[in-house]
Amino acid sequence: MSGLGWGLKSLGRHRLRTALSIAGIAVSAAMLLDMVMLSGGIEKSFAELLLAKGYQIRLTPKGTLPFDTDATLSGATELVTSIRRMPGIAAAGAVLGASLYGRRRDSLITLFGYGIQPEAQALYTVLSGGDLDPRDSIGVLLSLPAARVLQAQVGDTVTLVGRLDPQVVTAAVGRKVIVRGLVRWVYDYRDQPSVGTVLPVMQSLAGKTAGDQASLLMVRASEDTAAPAVAKTLRQRFPQVEVSSVADLVREFKQRLVYFRQLSYILGSMSLIVTVLLIATLLTITVNERLGEIATLRAIGISRATVVREVLLQGVSLTVVGSVLGILLGLVTARYLDSILTSFPGLPAAFSFFVPRRESLIRAALVLFLTGSLAALYPAWLASRAAIAAVLRAEAA
Amino acid sequence: MSPPVLVARDLRKDYPMYGQAVHALRGVSLEIAAGEYVAVVGPSGSGKSTLLQLIGGIDSPTSGTVEILGTVLQSLSDRELTRLRLTRLGFIFQRFHLLPVLTAQENVELPMAEAGVPREQRRARALELLGYVGLEHRARHRATQLSGGEMQRVAIARALANRPALLLADEPTGELDAATGHEILELFRQLNRDGTTLVVVTHDDRLAEQADRIIHMLDGHIVIPERAESSAVHGLPASTT
Repeated sequence: MSGLGWGLKSLGRHRLRTALSIAGIAVSAAMLLDMVMLSGGIEKSFAELLLAKGYQIRLTPKGTLPFDTDATLSGATELVTSIRRMPGIAAAGAVLGASLYGRRRDSLITLFGYGIQPEAQALYTVLSGGDLDPRDSIGVLLSLPAARVLQAQVGDTVTLVGRLDPQVVTAAVGRKVIVRGLVRWVYDYRDQPSVGTVLPVMQSLAGKTAGDQASLLMVRASEDTAAPAVAKTLRQRFPQVEVSSVADLVREFKQRLVYFRQLSYILGSMSLIVTVLLIATLLTITVNERLGEIATLRAIGISRATVVREVLLQGVSLTVVGSVLGILLGLVTARYLDSILTSFPGLPAAFSFFVPRRESLIRAALVLFLTGSLAALYPAWLASRAAIAAVLRAEAA
Repeated sequence: MSPPVLVARDLRKDYPMYGQAVHALRGVSLEIAAGEYVAVVGPSGSGKSTLLQLIGGIDSPTSGTVEILGTVLQSLSDRELTRLRLTRLGFIFQRFHLLPVLTAQENVELPMAEAGVPREQRRARALELLGYVGLEHRARHRATQLSGGEMQRVAIARALANRPALLLADEPTGELDAATGHEILELFRQLNRDGTTLVVVTHDDRLAEQADRIIHMLDGHIVIPERAESSAVHGLPASTT
């Protein structure tokens, strides 16, 4: 080991060139990281979203996926009661999704309504105020956007309107409710004005009282590991409904996103190729420029191994510096892209396309490190094979 | 009499050029004793630099052998040969070839670092050598901040770093002005007085004249000069072809 780091110091001889190369590597690294985050991030985010409150199983009308508000399950309360009695079940609750309106002075504001069973809910987190009591038939929970558009605070009374008659545009069902709390609904898209009441109130507003209808049932098994077995039991016990575990849903989601993953792999590979070309080109030029110097070093007894090591060190150093900058750039870019993509209508705001996971960062860093080393191999080989005598003769000529 | 540092036997070197062989050396033999100062002179293309490269183990002969302190270079692997160049030989080039990103001291340390000399030891030795060539005050300056003469002196210090048995110099004053060249001449003389064995390829008559022995080369042969009575000539080549 020379300990003098001449290979590394040589990078400082052409600072602009080195800086430009590092910038190029950083951009490629950022792209690679974003692609790595994207390839696994959507699934991860989807699974996290579904498991936000630990409910691993969904029961929906046959042939539908949650959250189809048009299709409903009948006899929801009875279904929930019988599920809660089953062994291995920690909690179960019904949810009804419905469109409704809120009255503000003379105008009606479109809202999304959740009918919930507060004792077993997987849909929201209380931000201020309190939660609903399971028997609270005059209470309502508002999302922050709903509170904003209704100009309501905790303790205020608001009027919810359901079942509009499209002919006369009048409310067939109107109900005054008191705001109990402001909440964040897990599945709301950005700025979605949503409200939640206990299930019977929402059924009444949505006109789905008959048959005790709900959009879906959410079930939490006592143990995460028991969820597949519980889902299987539920399937056998309730063949009239669709039983999906989060794992099933993620699997299906994953299958639908195969093309997305392929795209990210292709773009990620392209960024790696660009990195290889950048490093290999820079180092090859450097080695060619310094061939006389390298031949001299070899002549005075510097071994091939030392020459190879110093050139590889240059490649790895460029990669490390470029990668660190690239990872920072990638995280910033991912955040920005995520904010654009999650503002698409219909997408839950809590959903992420780019999830910065530690394993993604490690994987990207490892791939970049290997790439940098590989890219430096050719110039290192070139340097180590310098024909000492011929180069020195040419230099002297 | 001390055993020879260098023994070259019937060295031949051919280079392929445009499908034909160019005979750079046509059978050169010589011996150099320890402490000797030998100058190799001759016109351009006479084979003197090729000879230096062969005896320095930088290039391999088409035929013939080179022995340095009893070790036949042709029997060594590339790694062993590199090690021998590092520890037994010192090289000085016309264009100095210092690493511009390193300081004068670091350039001198380089061969010692490669040889595995501990850091403190090699720093002390580098400063000692820079002092020897009169550049201790420039130790922290980068090579690019030095004049041509200073660079060559640093190159000489670098060549001496691992205490070589033989110092080989190829046109060491070729890039220097007369005054600076004179300083290098003095330094070489001093080196030899201090016991260093020197082989210097040069066009510089002044440099050649101070050698113990001058080897004249022409067309790849060592030749006996017409004016062998020159005061600078103390010995003839071991053999001529």
